[in-house]
Amino acid sequence: MSRAIVIGAGHNGLVVGALLARAGRAVTIVEQRGEVGGLCAPRALHPGYTVPGVLHDTTGVRRAVTDALGLSRFGLSFESEPPSVLAAHSEHRGVVLHAEAKRSRDELERLRAGDGDGYLAWRGFLARIRGFAAGVLSRKPPLMKPDSLAELLSLARTAIGLRRLGKPDMLELMRVAPMCAADWLQESFRDPLPAAALAAPAAIGACLGPWSAGTAANLLLYECVRGPEVKGGPAALVRALHEAFQAARGEILLESRVTQIRLERGAVAGVELEGGRFLEAPLVVASCDPKSALLGLLEPGSLPLDVEEQVVSLRARGTTAKLELALDGRIEFRGREGERHARAVVADHLDDIERAFDAAKYRQCSQRPHLEVSVPSVDDPSLAPTGKDVVSILAHAAPHDIEGGWSAAARERFAGAVVDALERVAPGTRAKIVARELLTPADLEQRYGLSGGHIHHGEHALDQLLFMRPTQKLARYATPIAGLYLGGSGSHPGGGVTCQPGALAAAAILES
Amino acid sequence: MPIRSPFHDRVAPFCTSYAWKQWAGYYAVSHFGESHLPEYWAFREASAITDITPLFKYVVQGRDAARLLSRMAVRGFAKLPIGSVAYTCWCDANGKVIDDGTVSRLGEDRFFLTAAEPTLSWLTRLGRGLEVELADVSETISALSLQGPTSREVLRQCSDANVDRLGFFQTASAKLDGVEVQISRTGYSGDLGYELWCDARDSLRVWDALMAAGRSYGIEPAGIEALDMARIEAGFIMLGVDYYSAPRVTIAARRSSPYEIGLERCVKLDRGAFMGQEALRAEAARGPEWKLVGIEADWAELEQLYESYDLPPALAPAASRASVPLYSDRKFVGQVTSTVWSPLLKRYIALASVKAPFAALGTKLELEHTALYERRTVSARVVERPFFDPERKRMP
Amino acid sequence: MPTTYDAIVVGAGHNGLTCAAYLAKAGRKVLVLERRASIGGATASEEIYPGFTFSSCSYVVSLLRPQIIRDLELSKHGLEIMPLDWTFSPFEDGSSLLRGPDPEMNRRNIARFSRRDAERYPLFGQAMSELGRMMKPIIESPAPEPSKLTPSTLLELLRLGRRFKGMGEEWLSANLKMMTMSAVDFLSEWFESERLIGPMSVSGIIGTFLGIRSPGTAYVLLHHYMGEIDGSFRAWGFQKGGTGAVAMAIARAARAHGVEIKTDAPVDKVLMTNGQARGVVLVNGDEYHAKAVVSGADPHRTFLGLVGEERLEPEFAKQIKRFKMRGSSGKVNLALDSLPVFPGLDGASHHAMRADITIAPNIDFLERAYDDAKYGRFSREPFMDCVIPSLSDPSVAPPGKHVMSIFVQYAPYNLKEGAADWENQREAFGDAVIDTLARFSPGIKDRILHRHVLTPWDLEQTYGLTEGNIFHGELSLEQLAFMRPAAGWARYRTPVDKLWLCGSGAHPGGGIMAAPGQLCARTMLQARAV
Repeated sequence: MSRAIVIGAGHNGLVVGALLARAGRAVTIVEQRGEVGGLCAPRALHPGYTVPGVLHDTTGVRRAVTDALGLSRFGLSFESEPPSVLAAHSEHRGVVLHAEAKRSRDELERLRAGDGDGYLAWRGFLARIRGFAAGVLSRKPPLMKPDSLAELLSLARTAIGLRRLGKPDMLELMRVAPMCAADWLQESFRDPLPAAALAAPAAIGACLGPWSAGTAANLLLYECVRGPEVKGGPAALVRALHEAFQAARGEILLESRVTQIRLERGAVAGVELEGGRFLEAPLVVASCDPKSALLGLLEPGSLPLDVEEQVVSLRARGTTAKLELALDGRIEFRGREGERHARAVVADHLDDIERAFDAAKYRQCSQRPHLEVSVPSVDDPSLAPTGKDVVSILAHAAPHDIEGGWSAAARERFAGAVVDALERVAPGTRAKIVARELLTPADLEQRYGLSGGHIHHGEHALDQLLFMRPTQKLARYATPIAGLYLGGSGSHPGGGVTCQPGALAAAAILES
Repeated sequence: MPIRSPFHDRVAPFCTSYAWKQWAGYYAVSHFGESHLPEYWAFREASAITDITPLFKYVVQGRDAARLLSRMAVRGFAKLPIGSVAYTCWCDANGKVIDDGTVSRLGEDRFFLTAAEPTLSWLTRLGRGLEVELADVSETISALSLQGPTSREVLRQCSDANVDRLGFFQTASAKLDGVEVQISRTGYSGDLGYELWCDARDSLRVWDALMAAGRSYGIEPAGIEALDMARIEAGFIMLGVDYYSAPRVTIAARRSSPYEIGLERCVKLDRGAFMGQEALRAEAARGPEWKLVGIEADWAELEQLYESYDLPPALAPAASRASVPLYSDRKFVGQVTSTVWSPLLKRYIALASVKAPFAALGTKLELEHTALYERRTVSARVVERPFFDPERKRMP
Repeated sequence: MPTTYDAIVVGAGHNGLTCAAYLAKAGRKVLVLERRASIGGATASEEIYPGFTFSSCSYVVSLLRPQIIRDLELSKHGLEIMPLDWTFSPFEDGSSLLRGPDPEMNRRNIARFSRRDAERYPLFGQAMSELGRMMKPIIESPAPEPSKLTPSTLLELLRLGRRFKGMGEEWLSANLKMMTMSAVDFLSEWFESERLIGPMSVSGIIGTFLGIRSPGTAYVLLHHYMGEIDGSFRAWGFQKGGTGAVAMAIARAARAHGVEIKTDAPVDKVLMTNGQARGVVLVNGDEYHAKAVVSGADPHRTFLGLVGEERLEPEFAKQIKRFKMRGSSGKVNLALDSLPVFPGLDGASHHAMRADITIAPNIDFLERAYDDAKYGRFSREPFMDCVIPSLSDPSVAPPGKHVMSIFVQYAPYNLKEGAADWENQREAFGDAVIDTLARFSPGIKDRILHRHVLTPWDLEQTYGLTEGNIFHGELSLEQLAFMRPAAGWARYRTPVDKLWLCGSGAHPGGGIMAAPGQLCARTMLQARAV
């Protein structure tokens, strides 16, 4: 059996690799870093403190994929229910949003009469469309113009799924999808806090604010695949994937940077590594981002011009930075002393999120960033010394192309702003910091090879999703170059830790 | 409003007809005097000088310059010798022609491109990732065309160019009244002739030197109408008349492949990837749907047609760019796109696009012709193109 | 016993009048009731300052369907549209960009900022007209309704589908991209210079509560590219005598077909029996009865006002209440003592002055203007679209004097302090407009004889446009086509039997297009509703 090469040992690369290896291919994963896991690899922050990964949210991991790989045999297990999130507030004790809406109803009603019921209705709608949406997200994207009976059937299945929602929900879904998250959420919530807390994830990885059309689609994308977390977080997922891959006799080359995907007569011949080593293979799957793969690793002119130009136009402007904190003690949120919260969103108001995005538009860092906070040591105390916390924060907005560049002063300023924002909702945190590390989009680009430092390998926007992801001509994982496939977050259904792009890429390869 | 070319101050006094037209945003002369025929005869008997500054001109240089041009055009340039000029066309991804022009190799990594339409953006798009530097010199370099049997003598008189060693489709730099010019043995008249390129600031000196030297060789400024007649006799196609630039038209029927506009000899399929390669390969195998041919109307029939109205055969003295249908057995099979009565050849000739089965030499067709109000047809036949091809054009 | 009509049309705006004219042309007896003393609605010309006639609200005619002009013989009734085919964009450094019908001039002018852009510009126009051509059948027909799979909708979808079939996947994706991208992102795929992208992008936001970076604005760009005057695509024009004369022409045509128009006749409620509309009652108590009632008012005013929430299905009432109406623009009309000057104008100045003058110098300027609006403030430095109709139509100003009509964005209806606070902020808003304009046209302040500021609050109070929305509802993706104004009710019919909607709040939306009025009449006649 001829060799298959996978570029990148992130979670999607490992998924493609493991699925191909299990199907009997001889697979080599080539990884430029010294460890597997990519953005999901654990990072030692400070003696005694470990951060699970740059991406810390595993609620999107698709069960069908981990089952297909038999990951439970390699120690993978899930929590019993989706995590609750603390919508923290700078002036009061905020509100805990449970996935099971009933549990949050009373607290929300106390915040503002009507919001509890609004939340019930909102979650109710999501629950009704979840099956349909999850189905769309776990299949390859439909072709706009079906060219075979199978494609027509697949499209018909999607259409029937949509019709099955019943007319009100179907029309509602069609109405909501192109909306802006702010308008949609404000139909259900009168208090600014829950709307802000629910909208925040839609802004992660999209260079958009909640007042931008299409952010409701991001929100749907996020909420409709949200499930229980992986026990042990991204690190545990990567461990299991790695073991599954090795068990299928896959080979990983670490510290091996691909400098070129070499072609012969328009088809893949293999990859060239830094240092000149050549690995021959008729099949290469790039799980790195599409811009790096197609603009960086191919000889200019290898792609048809229209495809190349679509890739050039692909928007991947990183606006998310990562701040990690080692605390000499536990984090305590305002008004919730003694309570343990593993996840929190920090944004009082939708306008705060919008303002953070405004700053990014003008290539500035937000002075009042909004945060998605994870405290992994709540569920896994081994990550920090006893009685102490490690805090992992995705902070917005920190544009990759900040005016004046990411100087030491700019880094210090933004890290300070993030800590200030956290201090407002968790007073006393600043004093507990013993170590801190900031990863700006520029750092993410440099360390992980992400174009534009974009954690999703390309912005989530209406024109860069589904059959337009990463571009219309590349939406089916195959590229115009025979033997070259895409299999990372840049492909449908997109970024985050879902493992789905890798699984769908593997399926596309095995099908052909 | 059009703008003036750097030669305007010298050209304008000759234009006693005030017959200006617009060419790529510049004022250009249609015909200088009452009739364009003296200008036409200058092309064939002496020397005609024409301001061709409105052409679009680019310098492409850098390590990948040949690579970029080879990716764009339907032929490769890696082996084009320094000092040589090549005529070529370039296509979109579907193998439909965008434009045609010449590429001169001025140095190992330095090329000069002329085009009828702006091409900088296209070059930029195709050059992404390549080590190449593009300069749009359309306005900074001005150009004159000097065509006709005495043109070599004119240049011999006023420049230090070794005109006897400058072969057909070669280019060399020379001094003319102390001014640096690039001289190419190329042109659009189908006769012996040259094109001169110089810094726009030197334009007037170059013009004056040529006119002074040309006085004893019958030099005459010539306008677009005379040039049009000459180029039809030479069988040269024109963008926007005999074919259309593919991205600028909206329907497929108006787009043409090189095979359909008589440029098949320019296409070199078996080399590295270039724009339209796959489509052209397929078309080469399948054969084009249309072909560009030369057409000659049956003179006796034309005469008869006019005779039937009691008229002498009074054909328009100027070239026509109007499309006129061609029939075979009363069925539409194509159209002539450029037509002229050649005063030199005494033939009524035309360039035409016909459906491939009707393209063979000698094929008899019917050409629509209106002598007086009424649309009639006269017999025509597919003939050799070019219609006029003097030896002096290529002579060493 | 009141007279019985075949149809009563509420509101004498251009859509109401068009609908009435078409119904009357088909032999129906039609009454139009107008709340104000003059007809025209937002398509009004008013002499607000002695000797100066302002097209106080809408100011250019872009999308009026040629078929309507032919069907109603509007030129016979005084319609005379003069083309406005130049766009002039001054920049703060004194440079400027003039675009017009001469492609070579465009190329030269754009090349001053980018040669590549200059080259791409005609190709962009061509691509837009291609897309526009594809969209035309959508605008010309009632919106298909995907949730109802009846044979007739299937047939319609099939017809549209057949049109799309020849287009290929690239065309579909280009179209989808238009629908989902922002004007700036879309234009950036074509062009590199902000001096071109800025002024071009604004047609994506005119009348919307969106910024040029907001997804969905690329589509509005196309919407504005589809204006059609005398068959030439994307052209804009002035109506002689101001836009009010457009309404006058339609009104004359309507009257010629026997339509009765009553002004100063504010309708209070739609009369209903057993859930069926059977007429209207005026504020003064007069009743008029008809087989059908057609509302040219916006959806909020129609359903929540004329019908009343209590008489609607709760689900439908919810949908209408959710239909977003936020007005985002204002108007400043100036009576000028002399022609304004813009520095840096060369010999082409006479074109430039007759042009559409766009104050949209760069992307950040426009985006900052939008940022203000998002947080409930009017733009401190607003985007402006100015025209000087007196240059082409001397009848609107005394000799040597001029009127300047300035469309201003953003002026959010909902100020942070509340919409009614516009009463306090109106003049500050006017000052912001003039101060900004003065940076591009020095000395303008000294030329002003009179300034007339219209805020969205005024548009609501005076012209009855809910929240001052000039398009009877925002042109956002979820409020277009079969969602306009509510899912399932995009075909002029309403849940109230025998009540129809013919205003800009119905498909295909706003602008002086008159298509909703025409399509509504056509639908009513086909359904034998009158």
